[in-house]
Amino acid sequence: MITGAWLCLFAPLAGAVLITLCGTRIPRRAAGWISTLSVFIAFGGAVWSFLALRSHGSDHGAISTAWTWLESGSFKVGLSVLVDPLSTMMMLIVTGVGGLIVLYSIGYMDGDPEERRYFAYMSFFVFSMLLLVQGGNLLLLLAGWGLVGLSSYLLIGFWHEKPSAVAAAKKAFVMNAFGDATMALAFFVLIFHSGSLEFATSFTTAGHLSQTTVNLVALGLLGGAAAKSAQIPLHTWLPDAMEGPTPVSALIHAATMVTAGVYLIARTHPIFEQARTIELVAAGMGALTLLVAGLVALVQTDIKRVIAYSTMSQIGYMFLGAGVGAYANGMFHLMTHAFFKALLFMGAGLVIHALAGEQDIRKMGGIGKLMPWTRWMFLIASLALVGIFPFAGFFSKDSIIAATLNVGWYGYVLWGAALAGAFLTGLYTFRLYFIVFPGEPSAFAEEHHHDHHGLEGPWTMLIPVGVLTVLSAAGGWIQFSPYWQLVTDWLDPVARTLGVAEPTNTQEWVSTGLALGLGLGGMAVAYAIYGSGRLAVPRLPAVQRALEHKLYFDEAYDALFFKPSAALATQLRRLVEDPFVLAAGPDLGETAMDAGRLVRRLQTGMLRTYVLFLGMGMAVMAVVFLVVR
Amino acid sequence: MILAFSAGNVLVWAVWMIAGLACLASGVAVISFSNPFFSALALIGNLGSLAVLYLLLSAEFVAAAQVLVYAGAVMVMFLFVIAYVGPRQETPWRGGPSWQTIGAVLAAGAIFVEIIVVLGLKAGGRLSDVHAVNGTFGSPGWIGRLFLTDHLLAFEITSIVLLVAAVGGVILGEHTKRRDVATTEDAA
Amino acid sequence: MQGAALLGPGIVWYVGIAGFLFGIGALGVLVRRNPLIVLLSLEIMLNGANLALIAFARSAGNGAGQIFALAVMAVAASEVCVGLGLVVALHRRRLPLDVDRLSELRG
Repeated sequence: MITGAWLCLFAPLAGAVLITLCGTRIPRRAAGWISTLSVFIAFGGAVWSFLALRSHGSDHGAISTAWTWLESGSFKVGLSVLVDPLSTMMMLIVTGVGGLIVLYSIGYMDGDPEERRYFAYMSFFVFSMLLLVQGGNLLLLLAGWGLVGLSSYLLIGFWHEKPSAVAAAKKAFVMNAFGDATMALAFFVLIFHSGSLEFATSFTTAGHLSQTTVNLVALGLLGGAAAKSAQIPLHTWLPDAMEGPTPVSALIHAATMVTAGVYLIARTHPIFEQARTIELVAAGMGALTLLVAGLVALVQTDIKRVIAYSTMSQIGYMFLGAGVGAYANGMFHLMTHAFFKALLFMGAGLVIHALAGEQDIRKMGGIGKLMPWTRWMFLIASLALVGIFPFAGFFSKDSIIAATLNVGWYGYVLWGAALAGAFLTGLYTFRLYFIVFPGEPSAFAEEHHHDHHGLEGPWTMLIPVGVLTVLSAAGGWIQFSPYWQLVTDWLDPVARTLGVAEPTNTQEWVSTGLALGLGLGGMAVAYAIYGSGRLAVPRLPAVQRALEHKLYFDEAYDALFFKPSAALATQLRRLVEDPFVLAAGPDLGETAMDAGRLVRRLQTGMLRTYVLFLGMGMAVMAVVFLVVR
Repeated sequence: MILAFSAGNVLVWAVWMIAGLACLASGVAVISFSNPFFSALALIGNLGSLAVLYLLLSAEFVAAAQVLVYAGAVMVMFLFVIAYVGPRQETPWRGGPSWQTIGAVLAAGAIFVEIIVVLGLKAGGRLSDVHAVNGTFGSPGWIGRLFLTDHLLAFEITSIVLLVAAVGGVILGEHTKRRDVATTEDAA
Repeated sequence: MQGAALLGPGIVWYVGIAGFLFGIGALGVLVRRNPLIVLLSLEIMLNGANLALIAFARSAGNGAGQIFALAVMAVAASEVCVGLGLVVALHRRRLPLDVDRLSELRG
């Protein structure tokens, strides 16, 4: 069990190191295969741990420490892995979906001159994510957190000749850094009070802290989670992150990294339960995000950006679930979301690849005819996303919506938001589907479409897509509350669902029915407007403009943060840096030279001068001698 | 300090005063004259008065050696070279960087003051009780015995130093045919 | 003078004169530019030291001071020999007999 965990953790790192060391000596394709193999080995390790944990009788799991990493007085931190139900679930998702996406990348990135760097980064990312979920203490979690942010930066800015990509990478990193800072502050408070960052100690300490303190800690953790998971107000980086290659968007910004916030809440739920207010704030944040993201997705014209906002929205659902206390539901949705969102991105990638890089959906009409297989997979993924029975999203999303009902009046507000979100999901998802796939191929599509030896793409791209299609279709069946709840039972020892978050059977059925109906309603409206053209797009120019500007968040942040900082920096440069710091170098040199010139005057070359110094020295020495003796 | 006035004492005091004053005056004269010839003559006077002081200190042999060697040989050499080099006028207290002269006066003054201070403060006690000596103290035979028994090493090394100096002097005075040919031609 | 005490001024006065001579000699070395005068000033300094030695020898009744004074005299003679040789060599090569002008070690 532990060996499997260590194998899982270090296999991708070994892959990344191997690719880096081999450099240009190996062919580009080989780098891709090394990376893929390393992630699949990690998957093997994850499966091993999972099975071993199951047979062990899944109690709270085990922590194994390799060596002590940091030691400062009584504060000790070890390099330790944690194998428990929650971490093995995440390990399986990360390595499983990750492996498929890396395999897909081999086909997608084929021909790129810097392919090796890409695969090294991908392996490194998988390692970082595994460190995050397998870390045996909060410090390793934070380390993984930071490394994941770094990998995201490296991969978003992979095509570094594109200034927009570089800017997007910086934006992502800076916003994530804000979250990292709040998390670190929360950890400082924990260390201050408990002297340790072990999970168990921190959770028991949280019980003894004053309400304000524990609220602050939870708020810090929530800040980090919000930044990493692109929830309002720290969400503006995610759409820009689509500048990276499509597999990167699939892996990092859909399936794994952005879900780390949900994992964090589930992992540290004892702290959040002490700060129930903050936990409900998290739920509210999720609800707000899912609405706003859904609305903005309605006007996006870039295929990847629609899917990005969809991701944001779905993570809002996960936050909603975790926030009210239905941790298992949130994690379950995380899993199914990984399947269908990665599939959506991969499908989009197939289309983009076939159209030689075009991403504007207005040009893509009717491509379904040219790429039928892609079309059907995209359809299945879309249905899973909207939550239509029997596909995966139905089981996970609807149980989250139902979980909000017993939390009090606040829960009703969340419930309403979640249902509205279901409608919006149907609307924007099928808007995308109807614009891109059905109908006659547009002129652009006809002209630029090229296939891959008769198939819609290389086999390295088609096989992962196929696997994920099956998972999106059937993967939800492992939990059909209230009949069988494999996921909830599995996670029960470490992330027990709160009592208030358990809906009654009636509530469950009513909620599910409403959600399903609203989802179908959204689909129908989308069909009416975009599919058959019977309805026109509503003309609300102000709303349209606001949505197109993503509700002016970027402009607001620019005015609030960037402009003052830039002005301050310019002023400091003028007043401090130029006169003092920059002049310091030349001034020091000038001073040294002046001193040298002064001393030079003593070197007269005259005998008399040197004898004078002798004499003066002798006089001084005599005085010293007299005084001392 | 007690002034003991007896007949012998008065004579000693008088001789001391004259010799001391002559010593100091000639010392000042050496450094003041601009013509080196006069400086050399002043130095001869200095050496002579020093010899008198040595006699007062029961160092007869040393006094004799002083007159013979120093005044007799060394100063004659000096006068030879001064004559050879020829007359030259020099402005003694000018030249060099401005701080040189001031610094020199200060340094020399400081040394002198320190010596006085030392004498006044520390050595007063130790120097006040003077050993009583007998007649052989300072006599040539006594010096000779010391040289050949207690201080034999000093004696030998001094002779080596003299040898080295003699050799050095010869080398320095050597005519290097090639280089001096040009200078002696237009000197003549 | 059989076992006689020192007549006249005390040893302190002799040492004082020696100090004054030393100072004068030092001043001469530092101020004068003619190398011959510098050498003469050096002689004064050496003589000052000699006087001090003799005075202390008399004060302590120890002959080593006089021996040392004789050695100093020998060394002074040698040094004058070499120094004058230098002056003569300078003169022969038409170099200026001015210690200020002989400054090739100028910085």
